[in-house]
Amino acid sequence: MALKVYEKLKHAVRYWLLRNIPTCQQTVETISQSMERKLTLRERVKVKLHLWICAWCQWYMEHLQVIRDASRAQAAKAPDVMTSATLSNEARERIRRRLTNQN
Amino acid sequence: MSEAQAKSPDQSPDPERWLDEHGDYLFKYAVFRLRDDIVAEDAVQETFLAALKAYENFEGRGSERTWLVGILKHKIIDHFRRAGREAPLGEEVDEASDHREFFERPEPWQGHWNNNYAPNDWHATPAELIERSDFWKVFDECLSPLPRRTANAFTLREVDGLKSEEICEILSIKVNNLWVMLHRARLHLRNCLEMNWFRPEQ
Repeated sequence: MALKVYEKLKHAVRYWLLRNIPTCQQTVETISQSMERKLTLRERVKVKLHLWICAWCQWYMEHLQVIRDASRAQAAKAPDVMTSATLSNEARERIRRRLTNQN
Repeated sequence: MSEAQAKSPDQSPDPERWLDEHGDYLFKYAVFRLRDDIVAEDAVQETFLAALKAYENFEGRGSERTWLVGILKHKIIDHFRRAGREAPLGEEVDEASDHREFFERPEPWQGHWNNNYAPNDWHATPAELIERSDFWKVFDECLSPLPRRTANAFTLREVDGLKSEEICEILSIKVNNLWVMLHRARLHLRNCLEMNWFRPEQ
């Protein structure tokens, strides 16, 4: 009897998890939204449940934060490091002419 | 290079020196955000011209470069505003750019990470990436295949830290569009960085 109840309970829990834990594709979208607005309680619980069983999405969330923190820190410190492009000689001369004509 | 030259009362503006000392810096600042050489060159030129006009307003309190960057920021935003008004939203909101290949299609794993795209441990902190010009080169290259407005939204948000509402107003888009664009940019950029920087040996 007890065994039967246990089996039924196990089935119910599994079924509930299957129905309620969102997929990775849904979770990464919610993770992205969490960086833009406060999630609802329901959304937070779903993400938590998913992250509890999914290392990939945990990393995904971590990586987005690394990207944001590194970008903002780099932009504040030395934004010129973020691209290897430089002003071409032609452009430099064009701007120089324009500036000296102004004076 | 005198980066923080204070202005003395008798000093007149010296645009040629500005160009020599700050030209490349301003261009890099602009081109990373505008993602177009010609537009960035124009923004730099406009900045110097505006600086000449407004030279009396430069009190010499901060550095000359900071003052010039402040003007350039406005020029960049002005460009985004014009471009946003002129061009209707196109491929940015197409479903094609959704990166569905990142996730499994068939049951029972539908919607879960495809092995080829599943994230790995980066073993990296932001501090280790700062000032690594080779990392930022990859980062910059990873941004370039994105639709222009998506990349613009991304830099305004993640690099410059503007609020959603400000970005929507600048780019003439709705907040839902912005969130979709940011999500796609993040999916793409994260994957591109992982492929090209965090595990280039594979």
